[in-house]
Amino acid sequence: MGFKWQKLGLVFDPTHYENRPEWMVNFAQAPNVIIFDDYVRVFFCCRPAPDENKEFVSYCAFVDLDRKNLFSVINISTQPVLSLGGLGSFDEFGTYPVSVIRDGADIFAIYGGWARCESVPFNISLGLARSKDDGVSFQKYGVGPVLSHSPDEPFIVTSPKIRRYDATWYLAYTAGRRWILGDDGRPEIIYKLRIATSTDGINWSKRNKDIVESKLGEDEAQACPDIFYTNGKYHMFFCYRHGLDFRENKNRSYRIGYASSSDLLSWQRDDSMVDIDVSEDGWDSEMVAYPTVFELDGIVYMLYAGNGNGRTGFGLAKLEGDGK
Amino acid sequence: MQWEKLGKIFDPSEHNLSEGCTLFAKSPQALVFDNFLRIYFCSQKKTNNGKYLSCPQFVDFNKSFDKILRLSQGPIVELGKIGEFDEHGIFPLNVLEHEGKTFAYTSGWSRRRSVSIDMSIGLAISEDTGLSFKKYGSGGPIMAATHNEPFLVGDPFVKYLNGLFHMWYIFGTNWNRPSVDGEAERFYKIAHAESNDGINWIRNGKTIIEDKLLNECQALPTVFYAGGQYHMYFCYRNAFNFRNNRVNAYRLGYACSDDLISWNRDDTKSGIDVTEGAWDSDMMCYPNTFECDGEIYLLYNGNEFGKYGFGLAKLGAL
Repeated sequence: MGFKWQKLGLVFDPTHYENRPEWMVNFAQAPNVIIFDDYVRVFFCCRPAPDENKEFVSYCAFVDLDRKNLFSVINISTQPVLSLGGLGSFDEFGTYPVSVIRDGADIFAIYGGWARCESVPFNISLGLARSKDDGVSFQKYGVGPVLSHSPDEPFIVTSPKIRRYDATWYLAYTAGRRWILGDDGRPEIIYKLRIATSTDGINWSKRNKDIVESKLGEDEAQACPDIFYTNGKYHMFFCYRHGLDFRENKNRSYRIGYASSSDLLSWQRDDSMVDIDVSEDGWDSEMVAYPTVFELDGIVYMLYAGNGNGRTGFGLAKLEGDGK
Repeated sequence: MQWEKLGKIFDPSEHNLSEGCTLFAKSPQALVFDNFLRIYFCSQKKTNNGKYLSCPQFVDFNKSFDKILRLSQGPIVELGKIGEFDEHGIFPLNVLEHEGKTFAYTSGWSRRRSVSIDMSIGLAISEDTGLSFKKYGSGGPIMAATHNEPFLVGDPFVKYLNGLFHMWYIFGTNWNRPSVDGEAERFYKIAHAESNDGINWIRNGKTIIEDKLLNECQALPTVFYAGGQYHMYFCYRNAFNFRNNRVNAYRLGYACSDDLISWNRDDTKSGIDVTEGAWDSDMMCYPNTFECDGEIYLLYNGNEFGKYGFGLAKLGAL
């Protein structure tokens, strides 16, 4: 029973590329794919060097992987695909994560926009953008966010995964529940998976409830609700972590969880269905995070981020069981 | 319009306000009872880091406005917890009685780093005639920035008219600096939203009041019906150098409408302006109009954004 994943190894780490641009110094976070005839375009988020206060911004980029050999990187974007927002904008300090989907000849993207705050480090809302050149560049839909904070989702609306089934758009995402303080006084965010629906991809109706129960208690943080449809059922692979001490302590860092649903709205969590865990050593020895699952030429793959939530890049696994 | 100024009626420095506030009584807004008026306002308290938090309070007046009956004790609505939209202050607070409850529409302030603040609109509900309010939801706003209202959603003024809730409010259009190394200043304009329940609002990203100044900010709309027309007062100022330069400071603007949709601005008809040598000589801002026993009144702040209180005017001829 369950999904058996065979790890195939690291696919992309920008630090392995000497001539990479200044805005792509390191990190390859939160991969999502668009499949083309000859290649798989993997969108991810990366960082330039930190500023004088050791703070980062985050840009969206892509790499193209040879469809016949997903370990062969045949192209790297030369510019960020999305610009950062202007002064005071919700996305002034980062565009992370990004989720992409085809919409006719366009590619539609929903992304987390980062603003910097005083009492907490940041706040996040979701913006929307559209590309007419296969994802090389995206134009934003307005200056502000399309999905933001509301009475029961007071802050940190992020980690979008956009899907369309029949004529309805589904957006699975995570919403902040509370900020908690670590021993060092640093506020850390607890967020839970949520879902919204839309008929146009612009105006969203939130369900306003948690969709996956917490396994680690109320301070479990959940992100990256990646939905994959197969065998008459919706499957969600996501990641979860402890509320505090999750950066340095590998036992409290992100792991991949699983839930299934027949209607996209009510989900049953069963992490025993997913066997992918940290490796003994190497790039994913401390965490496995931000999964995305896709089918290519009859094989189901998962891309996921490793240590440091993508600081060491993203890698690939292949489904062996059929998940039935 | 012709207004008779009745003078300043409340000076916070003459009272022991709750929460240790000593200065500012900004954005007075009235709730009319049978035998008295409850006027909400926002005062400020200084915090450990030297910054200020706006805290809503109220003062009850008799109906001739010459006697204070009561001052609020303790917070009437709690500021937000860490990371919430109203963690760093609530200003202003607009009250509306509806079906036995009192709705408070709040502008919540949250501090940012590249710019000074963000604002969103919250809702709190009172079941004790406005003495205390409980927030709707789990700490979030009912209206925040959207793709076409990208910043600073605040200054709500809500009326229930003909079976529909109407809100006039402001949203930020942009942030800009007066010079390369100048401080970022906000630009905002007046807009309109509608709702069936007072909680879920439909809005369209359109501004409704024409600009008069090149770098104009518009704030705190207030609307009343008289003489077969809707009348709106609001305040406006230059986006830059408005704190100490009286030429750029807040003044009251005026617009009228037959249908609540299209508004004709004509400040020359406002019938009220600054008074030389008086408490409102350099600035007039944060208007609130209300009806009481057949008369229309206007509450507003004068110099220094209401640091030393608020005053009242009464409508004479239309």
